[in-house]
Amino acid sequence: MRSAARGAAVSVILSGLLSGAGFALDAAEAYDWPLPDWMPRPSVPEDNPMSAAKVELGRYLFYDARLSGDGTVACTSCHDQGRAFTDGRQVAVGIHGTHGKLNAPSLANVAYLPVNSWANPHMTSLEFQALVPLFGEAPDEMGATGQEARIFATLAEDPYYAQAFAQAFPQQPRPELFTVTRALGAFQRSLMSFDSAYDRFKYGGELDALSDAAKRGEQLFFDHRFECYHCHQGVLFTDNFKREGSPWVETGFHNTGLYADYPVSAPGRIEFTAEPGDAGLFRTPSLRNVAVTAPYMHDGSIPDLRGVLAHYAKGGREGHSNQDGMIVGFTATEAEIADLIAFLESLTDERLLTNPDHADPWPKDHPARIKRAEP
Amino acid sequence: MKLALQAALAALLPATAAFADQDVKINFAAEIGGHPFACDATFTDIGTTGAAVRGTDFRLYVSDVAMIAADGTRSPVTLAESAFQHDGVALLDFEDGSAACANGTAPLNTQLAGTVAEGSYTGVAFNVGVPFEMNHGDPTTAPTPLNLTSMFWNWRGGYKFVRIDMVPTDKAESGPKGWFLHLGSTMCKSGGKTNAPCSPCQNPNLMAVSFDGFDPAKQTLVIDPAPVVAEADMRSNTPQTSPGCMSFLNDPDCDTVMTKLGLPFKDIAAGEQQLIAVR
Repeated sequence: MRSAARGAAVSVILSGLLSGAGFALDAAEAYDWPLPDWMPRPSVPEDNPMSAAKVELGRYLFYDARLSGDGTVACTSCHDQGRAFTDGRQVAVGIHGTHGKLNAPSLANVAYLPVNSWANPHMTSLEFQALVPLFGEAPDEMGATGQEARIFATLAEDPYYAQAFAQAFPQQPRPELFTVTRALGAFQRSLMSFDSAYDRFKYGGELDALSDAAKRGEQLFFDHRFECYHCHQGVLFTDNFKREGSPWVETGFHNTGLYADYPVSAPGRIEFTAEPGDAGLFRTPSLRNVAVTAPYMHDGSIPDLRGVLAHYAKGGREGHSNQDGMIVGFTATEAEIADLIAFLESLTDERLLTNPDHADPWPKDHPARIKRAEP
Repeated sequence: MKLALQAALAALLPATAAFADQDVKINFAAEIGGHPFACDATFTDIGTTGAAVRGTDFRLYVSDVAMIAADGTRSPVTLAESAFQHDGVALLDFEDGSAACANGTAPLNTQLAGTVAEGSYTGVAFNVGVPFEMNHGDPTTAPTPLNLTSMFWNWRGGYKFVRIDMVPTDKAESGPKGWFLHLGSTMCKSGGKTNAPCSPCQNPNLMAVSFDGFDPAKQTLVIDPAPVVAEADMRSNTPQTSPGCMSFLNDPDCDTVMTKLGLPFKDIAAGEQQLIAVR
C-alpha cells in the first residue's frame, strides 16, 4: 500500500475513533485505486470516504433499473461500459423514451473532474449530480420523482442490499437518499482509465505501443498550429482537473463556435449564471477513450472524429461572439487528419471497457435488469 | 505534557532556523493600462488600435529571487514552501476565477515570502520563469504550484512563464477572439513535443529582472502588459499563428513584443523589459 492510501486509512480510523462509532469495518476495507505510479489520486469528499464495500454496493445500484420510476432505466442505460460509459446516442434517452438535450458524457476518470456537468458550474460533486438523473423532470431521465419511499422500500427487500448496505454504511444500513447517492459516487470514483496504448507509450516506456501514425498525430495534437492541447491539456486531456493534496480546482468551459445562436434547449453555462458571456460555454470533455464515445460535442451533433476536426479546422462550425480565442482554425492535409485520428484512437483503454470490476453484477433474469433499457 | 512538548519545540527551533536570516516579503500588483487588474473590469486604449479588453487570465512564475546590497552583491532569498512557492519557484496569481477569469482558480497570490541573510538591501532581482532543471518535468505529478494544467504547454516546451490573456470587447469582424501573451522557452531539442529536452533550450526566454532601488517595506512591483503590447494590435492576428504572442518564432505578432520583455527574438535585439516596474 502506498503512503497516501495508508494516510487515508489512518484518517478513517481516526475519524471513527473520534466519533466513537464503529468505523472499523470501513477501515478494514479501505479502498485503494489500482493506479499507475505516475498518476496522483483524486480527492474524495469528506462525507464519502472510499471503501471497497461502498464501491461494490454502488456498482449494484448503478446497474439497477429499479431506481427508476418504472423499473426500466438504470444509470447504465446511458452509461455503457463498452462505450467508456457513454451510450452511442446523440442525446440521452430516459424513461418513456424521453429524449434529453445533451450527449451522455463518459464517466471514465470522473473522480478528477471538479464539475460533473456539461454546463452547470455548481454541480461540484457526484453525490449531488446523482440527483439529476434520478429526480430531474426537464427532461425526465429516471423518473423517480416522488417515488423514492417506494423505490427504497423495494431495494430494502432485496437480500443482496440487506447485507450490502449494512456493510457499506454500518451506521445507516439502509437504502435512502444519502446512502444511495454516496455509493453511486464511490463506484463512479472507481472508474479509472489510465491503460491506453498512449499511456504505455508515454509513461510505460513501450515505444512500440503506438503506431507511427499515432506518433505523428501526437506531435500534431501538441502543435500550436492546431491548438488542441490548449483546452485538452494535462493527463486527462481537459482543462478540468482536481487531485488529492493540491490546492487547485481547475475548471474549463469554452464556446467552440458550434452555433451562431445556441438553441434554448442547451444554451450553455448561461442557463445557470444568466451571464451573457456564458452563452454557448460548455465544459471541456476529456479525450481519453474518445474513439469509442461517438457522437460528439455537448449535443452529439457531430457523428465522428473527422467531423469534429472539420469543425475546429473551420475555426468553429458556425462561429459565435463568445467563441474561445484559442479556436483560430487551421488547414491540414488529409494525411495529417488521419494521423490526428490515429493519435485520438490511441487514447482508448480497452481494460476500462472490459474490466469485470466495473461490469453488470446482476443475473440476467433478476428484477434489477429484466426490464432495463440498454443503450 | 503539552508544556513539555512546547519546551522541546522551542529548544529545537534555533537549531533549525538559520540564526542570521531576516524575513522578506515582496509585494506585487497587476494592472492593465495603469488600472488595477480585476476579472470583471474592462481596460481601454490597449495596443496600436486602442482596443478595449477584458483580462481573462493573469499569472506568472518567478524564480531565483535575490536581494541586492548597496555594493551590488546579491543574497539569495529562500522562498518559504507553500501552495504557491516550491523549491525557489513561486506562482504569482492575480485572477480569482470569477467573471471573465472563470477558467482560472480561486486562490490569489500577490506576494513572495521568504528569508534572506541579515543585512541592508537596496534592490531586488529575480527571473520571470521556471529554471530549466524544473521546467520540463511531468506536470501531472509535479508538486504545487507546478501542477496547473493551464500553466504548461507540454514537457518539451515546459511551463508558461507568463500567462496574460486579453480579450477585446470590441473585436474586429474578422479578427481574433482574444490576444494572449504566453511567454515560455522555445527551440528545445528533444525527441518529441512531450519529451523533456536534455540540454537547455535555444531560447530559454527567462526574463532577468532587477531593480537597484527597491524597498520591499514601502514599494510594490507593478506588472502591466500594456507597455509590452503597445505596438501590437489586439484586434488582429497573423493567420495560421497562435492568437496573440506565444513566444513562437514563426509568429510575427511577437516581433514588437518580445523585445519589450527584455528578450531577443529572431534577429530583433532585446530591449529593456517593460512588463514590471517599481512603484
